[in-house]
Amino acid sequence: MADTDSSEPAKSDAIVVKFRARNYAAEATAHSLPRVPADLHPLSYAPFLSPQVVAIDEEKHGTLDPLRAPCRSVVVPSKDLENARRASKPEISGSDAAQLLGKEWTTFKRFLVQKFPPSKTVAVSSIANLVIGSHKVYEKSNAHLDELDDPQGSAEEDVTFITQQEYTARLSDMKTDILSSWDAGDHFKSLKLSVKVARLLRDTDLLQFYPTLFTQVTDILDMLGDMVIERIKRKAEFTEDGTQIRALPEDFQARDVCSEAKETCHNWFCKIGSIRDLLPRIYLELAILPCWRFLLDDSTDVIQRLLAMMRGLGNPLASAYCHLYLVYSVQKLPARHNGYLITCIRDISLLMVPIVSSKVTIEDINSESRQVLVHLMEPPMEYIMKCIFKDHQQGCNILAELGVTRNLSELFGEYSCVSLLLHHLLKELPPEAFRSNILHILDLIERGIGSSFDQCVNFRLLGFRLYETDAPVEIVNVVLERVIQDVSQYQDLDSYLKVVDGYVDIVLQNQMKIQLEMLLEGIAERACNKWINDCELESLKSVFIKILSHTKCLENILELNFFAEIIDVMRGTAKNAINMRLLEIATRNGYIRCPTTVQFLFEVGQGLRNCNGFLSMLDSDNQHLDRLLSRFVHMVDFGTEWELHLTFLIEFRANFASADEMKETLVHRSNWLVMKALKDSKQLVSFGKSCLAFSEATIPSIANPVKQLFLYLETAEVALTIGLVCHSDGLIDSAICSLQSVVGGTPLDVDRIICIIQKLCSLLIMVPGNPIRGVTYISKSLLSLVNSNALRITARLKVRTLSANIILLAALSQHKLPYSPGDMKEVPGNDLLYFDDPSYQEELASFCRHLLQDMILAIKEEASPITRGSLALEACNSIASVLEIDDNVLCICNELMEIAGSCLSKEHFYLLSTSKLFVANHLRNLSV
Amino acid sequence: MSVELKLSRSNRIYRPDEQIEGKIITKFSSSISHYGVRLTVNGSVNLQVRGGSAGVIESIVGVLKPITIVKKSVEIRPSGKISSGTTEIPFSLTLKQPGESKSGKFYETFHGEDISIQYLLTVEVARGYLHKSLSATLEFIIESEKAELLELPISPELVLFYITQDTQKHPLLSELKSGGFRVSGRIPTQCSLSCALRGEMTVEASALPIQSIDIHLLRVESILVGDRIASEATLIQTTQQIADGDVSRGLSLPIYVLLPRLLTCPTVLAGPFSIEFKVSIVISFQSELSKLHPKSDPRTPRLWLAMETLPLELVRTM
Repeated sequence: MADTDSSEPAKSDAIVVKFRARNYAAEATAHSLPRVPADLHPLSYAPFLSPQVVAIDEEKHGTLDPLRAPCRSVVVPSKDLENARRASKPEISGSDAAQLLGKEWTTFKRFLVQKFPPSKTVAVSSIANLVIGSHKVYEKSNAHLDELDDPQGSAEEDVTFITQQEYTARLSDMKTDILSSWDAGDHFKSLKLSVKVARLLRDTDLLQFYPTLFTQVTDILDMLGDMVIERIKRKAEFTEDGTQIRALPEDFQARDVCSEAKETCHNWFCKIGSIRDLLPRIYLELAILPCWRFLLDDSTDVIQRLLAMMRGLGNPLASAYCHLYLVYSVQKLPARHNGYLITCIRDISLLMVPIVSSKVTIEDINSESRQVLVHLMEPPMEYIMKCIFKDHQQGCNILAELGVTRNLSELFGEYSCVSLLLHHLLKELPPEAFRSNILHILDLIERGIGSSFDQCVNFRLLGFRLYETDAPVEIVNVVLERVIQDVSQYQDLDSYLKVVDGYVDIVLQNQMKIQLEMLLEGIAERACNKWINDCELESLKSVFIKILSHTKCLENILELNFFAEIIDVMRGTAKNAINMRLLEIATRNGYIRCPTTVQFLFEVGQGLRNCNGFLSMLDSDNQHLDRLLSRFVHMVDFGTEWELHLTFLIEFRANFASADEMKETLVHRSNWLVMKALKDSKQLVSFGKSCLAFSEATIPSIANPVKQLFLYLETAEVALTIGLVCHSDGLIDSAICSLQSVVGGTPLDVDRIICIIQKLCSLLIMVPGNPIRGVTYISKSLLSLVNSNALRITARLKVRTLSANIILLAALSQHKLPYSPGDMKEVPGNDLLYFDDPSYQEELASFCRHLLQDMILAIKEEASPITRGSLALEACNSIASVLEIDDNVLCICNELMEIAGSCLSKEHFYLLSTSKLFVANHLRNLSV
Repeated sequence: MSVELKLSRSNRIYRPDEQIEGKIITKFSSSISHYGVRLTVNGSVNLQVRGGSAGVIESIVGVLKPITIVKKSVEIRPSGKISSGTTEIPFSLTLKQPGESKSGKFYETFHGEDISIQYLLTVEVARGYLHKSLSATLEFIIESEKAELLELPISPELVLFYITQDTQKHPLLSELKSGGFRVSGRIPTQCSLSCALRGEMTVEASALPIQSIDIHLLRVESILVGDRIASEATLIQTTQQIADGDVSRGLSLPIYVLLPRLLTCPTVLAGPFSIEFKVSIVISFQSELSKLHPKSDPRTPRLWLAMETLPLELVRTM
């Protein structure tokens, strides 16, 4: 300031500044817009919008407007349903159905391979070796029926190891061979090779590799089947010399086929029928199963015979996959009854009985490999079950539906101990059928003691199904009662948890608190005083997450017996997840008022924080936690117990406040606390001081200076409101200090700083002038700050700061200030302190003069002409709005206008409007 | 230069009272002249006696004189010329005139081990002494004429059979003998050639796990040599496995055997020869011993095998 004083003394004396007198209250009323009460909230959903219009609109454009969900959701599903119904009609184009089947099958095969990723090497027994190993075997063979037979070499015990890739590669070699011999017209050789490929499936010792092998072999067989069908179809449609005699329709009958084609077809079946080995014979017949259409209209007998033949397969694994292939192949036939599927399921279950029943022990199958076997047999079961209910779900075979439902018990019959079967049935059972059979199924599960599939998994599935099918409450009650009773016999925490997992949802949905507590008690009994393994932890987590997601209010959970005990025994990430969820729930709905809850959450937070200490959590997790904790601080409300609240804040800061965000929240909360206390009581000086002290201590620890600044200003405002002027002065000083560090720091966000300075100026209006330091002390220090960093400060920042200060001075010069802190008389404003004090006015005016000159200099410093022009106009406008325009001021303004005029084009809108304003002002002044 | 025979039916099956129709296809690079195109039908029963039950002399002599069923020769074209390129000469031939005596019975085609019944059609283009005559031979298949067929349906007469450790005449593994087993089933005694052989069987009990159950079809060919009958039962290559591995007890397993063409024919009981069939059920039990004899004849009684053989009459139906 001293510089400006000394450098331009002559000029400053020449100018006399007079502030324009304002009546803020009158201006506010004059400029406010008229207000009309509205009927509707602008953001509310308008239900009376004509739905017809919407519907028409939709039809026209057909686009999906996501915002129009309420109307749209009515329309869309109906269309989809229609499509689905159309798609499900069995009589529509067979080729479509075939394509669909093919796609499904491909997906299923992929799933199979993924489910059982085979190990690298495969032990190949001699049977496979004969086929895969030496190509000579089939190269030297002559075309005679006996070549289809097993060369009886199966007794050799040689086991060679080859990698799975090799095996696959050889299979695909075989495939190429089959194709090439087919193309060469040697259909018999193709068949022979296919038989060899199919024979591979006898080797069930491959176990994990078996499903993969199955998919590859059936690929080859399907290919052969398709070629045979194509050939016979060609025979039926074309003569030998290639002229078409007739075209077979999609739904042709056996009588449409000429005898020549039938003869060929019959020959194929005869050739396949003469294969000695049972398994390849069945597979090959299944591969060309659709060919029966050329001979018979109703192939039910064929399917029955094939099923009966499969009973001769003693190996359960081979048999199960053979059944799977049968079910797939039969679907290629046009019309069929679903009865065969039930037979399939029954036959497979029968095969499983010896595997699963614990009484029968097969010497060479130990329990582990038995488990593997059961696991391997699961996919065929699943696929067949799906097929049973596929038609049903599409609603096109109501008869079958009735049959199946009625035959539920018949289906299980005496083999109910195969709980795997039950599991898949339960999975696929359509909702209606499920609802009417719940208790029956429960009986079956209770009876199911088979080790094939753990009973608890079935219990759990039953629970899931109950939940998703909206079973009636009475039934749910009965089921729950029985399940809880059954499960109480489980000693193992893991299986217990599995069951509980299935029922938590439904228990919570029906708000059965007693049952929930019973289940929790069960968990507590089994979980406490024991080391919980990771798997159990996961289940526990799942159960608790479910409980938490159903509860709206934290208190409900805390009230639950055993909840806290179980949480205590948890650890690691599972516990963290639960804790996070707890915090989320607590902070989701409204304020937390209960001190116990606060204490509980505080501990939860501490637990999480401690975990973070040594478990390296992800940054995102950490951020999430910080946010949650901030939110928690934000939601705590002790009502009129302000002291307590402040203590909480202090404690919280001591424990958690490491991140800026949290400290910021703490300061906000402490300020909020002061304001709230102020509203309720007038006597709070000491409490206010403590809060301010808290804030003052907290703010400096925040790393980000910009945040610091805002918080300083906010706190200063609060201090001013409760009348602690000294505090507010101190805070403003701190603010200016940190502003200094902001300006000194990099990078400089000019707009943000301008904003802060403007805010500071607006605050200063209320701050009573310090007689010792001088009224304009703060403004001056602000200016010196701006000037001292000339290199870093842009002209814009400078000009804006200056105009903000000019406006501040103008406001201070008024007889009545535009606003006062909280409209309270405790802090007298400058208007009262310096009422009618000429020296005060003089000081303001003289400082204003300096500012004006500085401003012109600053504008001239600006390099860019466009910025210079607009800055000049800006300055001009702010001068015109706050100062009386006499000749001196006009002179300054003219200078500014000249700068603007030289920098901007004559047509510039801002320039034009500003000059208009001056002309108008000038005229008014003249007239006055 | 080639001559080919082609019959009107792709399966080449005819009945004795039907016309055999077809064409002779000649492919020549240049036109040739000939002394006539002749078509000959020759049906005969060929008999052969090998070792086994036949006497020493017969086994040395081996082949017996074939029994002629039919021998006919027809001139399709008188001498003339056949132009170059492909020429088709249609023909039609009657095997059996309606008025002809019944003595020459047309047996159905059969390809057996010792007996074979064959019908051959030969075309010959005679070209004089300077040139080798051109010829082609084609076998066609004879099935009984409709008039001689049995009326449908044949009686579904099923015979019950039981296989236990006590029905076996050969020694069994000691575990089998003591532990026992019981397999029961039903199988027809008469079966139509155009249908499959259908029956069923059930493993009711078994002390040892089952390795495999197979159905064998046997032919019994008997030839009258002098005043003796040389008879031999051989395996038809159609062996059907109906159980692979240790099957569930008490489940009925289907027996479903498609009868192969040519290798089977209706049961014949003629004077000089006879062709009969048998069906044999062989159960092999899992045993370490069986691995030592991998390639044995399934009909050889072994310690780990149990078997039952039943006669089967094959008939031709509509």
